[in-house]
Amino acid sequence: MPLRKGLPVKTPSCLCDADQVVCGLLSPSSAAVTDHLQTSSSRPHGFSSQATWEDIGDGPLPSVHTMGHNDVGNPLKRRTRCWGIYRRRYNNWSEQISSGIHPSSHQQQDGDPATNGAHMSTRVRYAPYAVPPCHRRGNSQKQDQTQTNMEGEQKPPERRMEQEKQDETTGKWFKIIIPFGIKYDEKWLLDLIQGQCSVPFTPVEFHYERMQAQFFVEDASVAFALKNVNGKIWDEANERISIFIYPSDTPHSVQKELKSVKVEQTKLLPSNLRNKTPCQLDGLSDTVQNATDIKNLNLSNSEVMSLEELDEGKSLQPEEMTADRSTLCTAFPDKSTNICSILELFPKLLRLDSQESPSPTSVGIAAHKWLPTCRGSFFGSDALKRLVLQFLQHYYLIYDSRDRQGLLGAYHEEACFSLAIPFSPEDPGPSSLCEYFKESRNMKKLKDPSLRVQLLKHTKCDVMRSLCVLPKTQHDLSSFVVDMWFQTERMLCFSVNGVFKEVEGMSQDSVRAFTRTFIATPISNYSLCIVNDDLFVRDASPKENQSTSSVPVPTPSCSSWPTLCQKQQEMGQTFSTQSGMNLQWSQK
Amino acid sequence: MRRFRRDWSHGGDSGRYQRRREYFDEEPETSYSCSRERRTREEVVTPPLPEQAASGSLMATSVDFKTHVDQACRAAEEFVNIYYETMDKRRRALTRLYLDKATLIWNGNVVTGLEALTNFFEMLPSSEFQVNMLDCQPVHEQATQAQTTVLVVTSGTVKFDGNKQHYFNQNFLLTAQSTPTNTVWKIASDCFRFQDWASS
Repeated sequence: MPLRKGLPVKTPSCLCDADQVVCGLLSPSSAAVTDHLQTSSSRPHGFSSQATWEDIGDGPLPSVHTMGHNDVGNPLKRRTRCWGIYRRRYNNWSEQISSGIHPSSHQQQDGDPATNGAHMSTRVRYAPYAVPPCHRRGNSQKQDQTQTNMEGEQKPPERRMEQEKQDETTGKWFKIIIPFGIKYDEKWLLDLIQGQCSVPFTPVEFHYERMQAQFFVEDASVAFALKNVNGKIWDEANERISIFIYPSDTPHSVQKELKSVKVEQTKLLPSNLRNKTPCQLDGLSDTVQNATDIKNLNLSNSEVMSLEELDEGKSLQPEEMTADRSTLCTAFPDKSTNICSILELFPKLLRLDSQESPSPTSVGIAAHKWLPTCRGSFFGSDALKRLVLQFLQHYYLIYDSRDRQGLLGAYHEEACFSLAIPFSPEDPGPSSLCEYFKESRNMKKLKDPSLRVQLLKHTKCDVMRSLCVLPKTQHDLSSFVVDMWFQTERMLCFSVNGVFKEVEGMSQDSVRAFTRTFIATPISNYSLCIVNDDLFVRDASPKENQSTSSVPVPTPSCSSWPTLCQKQQEMGQTFSTQSGMNLQWSQK
Repeated sequence: MRRFRRDWSHGGDSGRYQRRREYFDEEPETSYSCSRERRTREEVVTPPLPEQAASGSLMATSVDFKTHVDQACRAAEEFVNIYYETMDKRRRALTRLYLDKATLIWNGNVVTGLEALTNFFEMLPSSEFQVNMLDCQPVHEQATQAQTTVLVVTSGTVKFDGNKQHYFNQNFLLTAQSTPTNTVWKIASDCFRFQDWASS
């Protein structure tokens, strides 16, 4: 892409890559870098935002836009961009770079007279939209402030904003959201994402908001690469981590920096450093190792300008930032035209996996379209998990056996049981669930109050009678998903979702899906007594149908609920102290 | 009329109270959609609970049982309508239906406490629920230690904005907070799961 001449440099986007450049610069172990220091490339480089990686190619980039180290040069090789993730951490040294290399070709592309001065050499990287110190872990407060320089004037804010507008293809910001990201350490999370992301990205304004982790990135191709990381990273608990991207306004901190008139120095960088297309992360590991070296280099530099001077007016006070953050995060930025134009440009880019592409009109209204990751069974504790699974295993062993009467001991004297099947008004015809139909107590359909009472089975005997007339079944325990959703000292509520097959009768071999909710009271440390039992049966979906494995009918070793139950009821305390098991029945 | 206003924790239209009372004297199958439109408060309220009869005799308990079932059904139906309408149309008010320490298990994710619930519901995309199954049972007092509780089980479809439609199953434990003039039902626990959660 031809460089645009005569356009003011687009400072913020350029500068976001400055760190990457500097990172590379200060890697002493890289001999190649040294080579580049002396190299003055003839390739056009520049501050034009339209420069792409393709323009630069694999060769070394000219040293002009470096920040100005005499000895370290130009890291503008492609791989240096991959170190962008470490920008924030390395800010302290980057700021202290004072001298720079001033290539003549620098002026060629830079059409901005403000920056195109005679002494453009020592420009220090200006990182206006770096994460403010108050939001970064550890260190120096002044890390991300710009530095230096000898003479360069800063590009007037108005010019920069002009540049923003003129720039059609860059300067587009995206908000990245990691649902439930609040669980994760910032560095760990960003490293993890970067590890899977095909392009280096620079997170801006990383923060936690409610349960999410959020940050901004610039450039649609970076956002696109991040989108592709969705679902490809897992946390330490082996849960998949989702990443979602949304078009966004320029982050507030970036906007503020643009408007700030107190910035003393800026370092203009060629925007061809910006990530336009994916690149290989081959420099990444080198950078990590060279971190300490970089730090040492910095300290030796004596031409550092006082960071305080640069700080004034630029750094956002924590309170201020907080206020910004809250306004940032309450609602989707109301710049529908901006968003619409992005969507028009990248309709496929922004389509989230398995989701519809939001229409331009709806984007401004609905801020979030993601759902939390669905997880498997939830148990309150390991002890309860054992108890419940043991219970279910025993229960269904008998339930699937010839005689369900064996379950008599599992139910409380005044237990309740009811059954329901789905009702859809559009399709009221007879379904294959006819065996369950007459027992169904779906209140969406059943309105007669007396029938409602009648169909709710009460007392152990009624319950058993009802269970025994239901079709014979064969449950697939491997399909069970259990949610333990309420517990107190005297009550445990859990729901079982799974599939079963009917093994005889008119609907033999039909696969059904069910959700059964049990409310039980503890009899002992290892036994439960059912007080409420609610069964919901529906036809299995095709997917559920397929997943049903042929589970051999288990031969019950014990055809009835252990009478121990009754005995334990009497023994109660004695048993529990003997077993030593410490069940957590505490109320949530 | 005004004296009723004081009894309502959230204030409200005492005229509406009158309408609701009338409703509960009618057959349950009467649609109350007309009164629903005028309802602005998110609360599930039923007439005061009957006196608990002394436990012991089975006869007494069977009479009580029918009453409990009736009451449970009323609470459940009222609740389900309010809950899903609030979830769809007035999401921010949804947490008013929950106890302070209520827990939600949403597709295996645990959310505990009102603040977490508020955040969670705010994060969820806008929804369109369609309930096609509702069942309820009064929970035995041995489990609840005499705290009147109703188990509500629902199923249906839901479409979250930006996502495909899902079938869902949901359970609630509703617990009664009684005053002399009415009973307010709140969610003690909520369990929600897509039927096809594994492929979501």
